[in-house]
Amino acid sequence: MSSAGVRVGLSLGLGLGALVAAGCALPANQQTAPVAAPAGADSTASAPSTVAVGGEQSAALASGGRGEDSEGKGGLRRLPFAGRLVSGDAAELPPAVAASLSPDAPISFSYREELSHDEYHLPLWYSFIDPVTYVGAPLGDFGVTAAAELTIARGDRLIGQYAAKVHVSKSYTLYKQPTHREVEEAARAAVRAKIDDELAADDARLSRVAMNLTGAERAP
Amino acid sequence: MKSVVRMLLLAVAVSGCAVAGAPFQRTEPPPGMSTIYVYRPYHYVGSLLRPPVTCGDETARIGPGGYHAFVVPAGTVTCSVQGGESVDETAIEGAPRHYYIREEIGWGVLSGHPHLNPMDNDTAHDEIAQCCVAEDQKQYQVGP
Repeated sequence: MSSAGVRVGLSLGLGLGALVAAGCALPANQQTAPVAAPAGADSTASAPSTVAVGGEQSAALASGGRGEDSEGKGGLRRLPFAGRLVSGDAAELPPAVAASLSPDAPISFSYREELSHDEYHLPLWYSFIDPVTYVGAPLGDFGVTAAAELTIARGDRLIGQYAAKVHVSKSYTLYKQPTHREVEEAARAAVRAKIDDELAADDARLSRVAMNLTGAERAP
Repeated sequence: MKSVVRMLLLAVAVSGCAVAGAPFQRTEPPPGMSTIYVYRPYHYVGSLLRPPVTCGDETARIGPGGYHAFVVPAGTVTCSVQGGESVDETAIEGAPRHYYIREEIGWGVLSGHPHLNPMDNDTAHDEIAQCCVAEDQKQYQVGP
């Protein structure tokens, strides 16, 4: 529904701007009345800048709001022990897990990721007659929810289980639209970063587990 | 009177854009393969457009009210659609089973923007059974 919110903000902004430009003085109580602007939309901003702000928010949301760290570039770490991947794709793992893989390790990693999609589109007839469409207001959103689960075990003994869920959405306009793949990749990166965060939060306990392992079983 | 005739002609022309063919029938993919159904419910916007949809190595053009079943090896498969001024693509990853993608045409500056929306199976199965028929791709093939 964020697209609709941005559109309302744009409409109000355009409407107020037109009134001011036309020299129409509003009654005092209307001039001071607060205008409910949706998050990320400045009702008094010009249309293109409001859309740009919305775009930045989508990008920040897509990266989990953590900037470069969410993609593992700035916060790459490894677990205190090595493990072998028994389920999942080695090319699609949280960075900390990917950095701790060893084919002969007695500890096993099992990683699963699932995506589900949602979308929101303004009715075409409405966006056709609404003037803010033509200044670049969002016409809808593509959303992806990524759910991930990491299980760490040693034989039958469960060492840790971590689950995360992230929703990422990006809006599209008449002039620019993200591909679904971009949104999917952003959601995957964000959910992996969240799993990495959970591992980091559990680091002390995992280190104690590593202390009980023999030297050969620890991190490579 | 003339305007009524024009409206009728326009209605006939637009409705004539809908695909005619066999009703939807789900088929089991061969072992190790996935079936991706790309379907396009009828809508007046962009009804004259048939942008090429590619899944794996196969390409099909799907008209309004039509669907096409892509049988592809299980695993990561990218489906994309090429519009006049935009491209959309989505990745299908997973076990060999049925997947559904809904194609829609949205507003564009010079021509419509095609979207490929991955759908969950329950919603899509009902939708495709109601809206769409198999589209004969031979009409788009070049040569003998």
